[in-house]
Amino acid sequence: MLFDIDFDVATDSVKPVNTPMETWHQVQQFIFHEARLLDERRWQEWLDLWTDDGMYWIPQEHGQTSPYDHISLCWENKILREMRIRTLTNERNWAQQPVTHSSRVIGNVMIDGTDSEGYLVVRSAFHLTESRKDETRYVAGSYIHKLASTDGGWRIRLKQVNLVNCDGTHKSIQAHI
Amino acid sequence: MPYTNEEIATLVRDDCVHKSVYTDPELFQLEMDRIYGHAWIYVGHESQVPKVGDYHTTRIGDQDVIMVRSADQKVHVLYNRCPHKGAQLVGDADGNVGRFFRCPYHAWTFNLDGSHLAAPMRSGFEGTNFDIRDPDFAMRPVARVESYRGFVFANQAAQGPSLEEFLGGVRSSIDNLCDRSPVGEVEVAGGVFKVWQPSNWKVFYENLHDTMHARVTHESSYASARQQAESIGHMPLELHIMEGNGEPYTFWEKLDLCAYDHGHGYMEGIFNPGAIETDPVSRAHFESLVAVHGRERALEILGVNRHNTIIYGSGSPHTVFQQFRVIRPVAVDLTRIEIQVFRLKGAPDAVFQRGLMYANLINSPSSNVMPDDIEVYHRCQLGNMTRGGDWVSQHRYHGTDKTIPGGMVSVNGTSELPMRNQFKAWKQYMLGQV
Repeated sequence: MLFDIDFDVATDSVKPVNTPMETWHQVQQFIFHEARLLDERRWQEWLDLWTDDGMYWIPQEHGQTSPYDHISLCWENKILREMRIRTLTNERNWAQQPVTHSSRVIGNVMIDGTDSEGYLVVRSAFHLTESRKDETRYVAGSYIHKLASTDGGWRIRLKQVNLVNCDGTHKSIQAHI
Repeated sequence: MPYTNEEIATLVRDDCVHKSVYTDPELFQLEMDRIYGHAWIYVGHESQVPKVGDYHTTRIGDQDVIMVRSADQKVHVLYNRCPHKGAQLVGDADGNVGRFFRCPYHAWTFNLDGSHLAAPMRSGFEGTNFDIRDPDFAMRPVARVESYRGFVFANQAAQGPSLEEFLGGVRSSIDNLCDRSPVGEVEVAGGVFKVWQPSNWKVFYENLHDTMHARVTHESSYASARQQAESIGHMPLELHIMEGNGEPYTFWEKLDLCAYDHGHGYMEGIFNPGAIETDPVSRAHFESLVAVHGRERALEILGVNRHNTIIYGSGSPHTVFQQFRVIRPVAVDLTRIEIQVFRLKGAPDAVFQRGLMYANLINSPSSNVMPDDIEVYHRCQLGNMTRGGDWVSQHRYHGTDKTIPGGMVSVNGTSELPMRNQFKAWKQYMLGQV
C-alpha cells in the first residue's frame, strides 16, 4: 500500500499556468490555514484537508526523487496520518507529556504550474519553531503542495517537506511538519 | 579521582548495577579506552566503499576513523588525522579521495593504505629527522581490521581474540542476513537514518532485548495501530509492526533470549512478516531462494526468525527486515544511532522496499514508536542523576539462566539475562580481562 502504489511525486516538470490573482490568494490562504491547523493542534480539521489518496512525504536526502528506493523521514498515506494523530493524542504518549507546541511562518508562496495529472503545484518556504519542556527546536525548509480542486475547495494530494537538514542527525520528530 | 579496578568491580553485581555507570563522565572516558579500545567495532559494510578511493567515515568510541578501499581492493581503517599538524584528512561522511589522500592544510599526501606518499618542498626536510618510512609521518591505521561476509570491523588493540571468536554465537545472525540473499551478499542501500538519543549508550543495548517494556512504553502506538486497523477493517503489515508491541506478557514469556560472551545476544522473532503461503512479498522472496538452493534450504534460511541481535559495542542487526542499527556513544548522556538498510542482492525489489518501510516506520526520527523509547531513556538519565537511590535492578529471573555453547539462554522471555550478560562483559572489559 505504501510501496506498491504508482504515485507521481515529480514536481519539477510542471506546465505553466496563468493564475488569476483571486486563485493565487485562495491558494495562499489555504496554505496558511493548513499551517494554522497544525499549530493549533486542530488535528481532525487538518486530516480533512487531504484527498483520500493523498501522500505526506519528507525526503531524507537532498534532491531525493523517489520514496520507493530510498528511506524517507515520512512517507504517509491516510492510514498512517490518522495513526500518527491517534498516537499524538493518546493519553499514554509519554513523549507528548507535555505536548509539543509549534509556530510556523510561511512565505514565498508561488504557483509553479500543474503536474502531469493536472494538480496545482505550489511551493513555499517555512520556518517552524517547536517547543517542548525547556527545549526549542528550529526547523526550516520548503513545502511543495500538490493541490486538487474539488467541490469542497482545495485538497492536498501531496505535501512534500524539504528540510534544510533532511540528511542530518535528528531528535524525535513527532508532529507533522 | 581515578577509579581503581577494585572500585570498578563493585559497580557491577550479579543482579544490579550502580547508576554511576550511566552518569559518570569519568567512567565514560574509561569505557572509550577499555571497551572501545579493545572490542571489535563495526566500522561499515564493504559495499559502502565499492570503488578504489571510496571512503566512509565513522567513529570507534571517541575516535574518528576512515574506512577506505585501496587499489589492491583491500579495505583499510585509518585514523582521520594528518601526521603533520593533526588536521582531519576528510571532512565529508562519505566520498572518494581519488588515488591518494591530500591534506587540505599543507598538501601532505598519503597512499590509500595510509603510508606517506609525499610532502611539498622536500629540500626543507634535509638534515632533519623527517623520514617518510617512519610511521610517525604516515596516517595511522587502526591496529586490526577484519571483515566477516562484507561487514568490516576494526579493533584498536593489537592483541586479543579474532573477529570470528569475538562474534561467537551472533555470527549466525550475520550469516542469516546474508543468506537471505539468493547470492549470499548484501549491500547498504537507500540511505542511512541518524538519530540522537540524549541518554547513555548502554541503555539502548539493554532495551533491545527488554521485552517487559514493550506494552508499557509503547502503549500509545500499539493502541493507535489497533484502533486504526479496526477503523479500516484490516491489519496491514505497516500497522502490524507497530501493534506487535501490545502483545500480552504471556507472548513475550515464550521467546528465547540468547546471551553470548562479550555481551552479545539475540532474541527470537516477534513479527511474522508474512507466511510464505499468504504474503506475496515473502512468497516471491522464498521462490528466489528456492531457485538457487532448493526448497529445503530456502525454508531453513527463512525459518530463522530473529528480532534484534546485539553485537555489543557495535549495535543491532535485524535479519528479517535487513538492517543494522549502529550505536555510537558521543558523551556520557548522548548517543548517536545510525540505521543502515541492506538490499539483499538478487532478491525481489519488494523485499528491499519492505525493509525501507520498516525503517521509515520504526527507526526514522519520525517513527511513531521510537519517541517513547527516547523519552524513557532520557528519563532514566535524569532519574539516575538524583540522590533517590544508587542501584539499577536486573533481578528478573536471575539465577535461572541455562548454559548453552558459548553463552546462556533464558528460561523466560521476560528475563533480564541480556542486561546481566552485557554487564558481565562490561566488567571484564573495564577490568582489563578481555
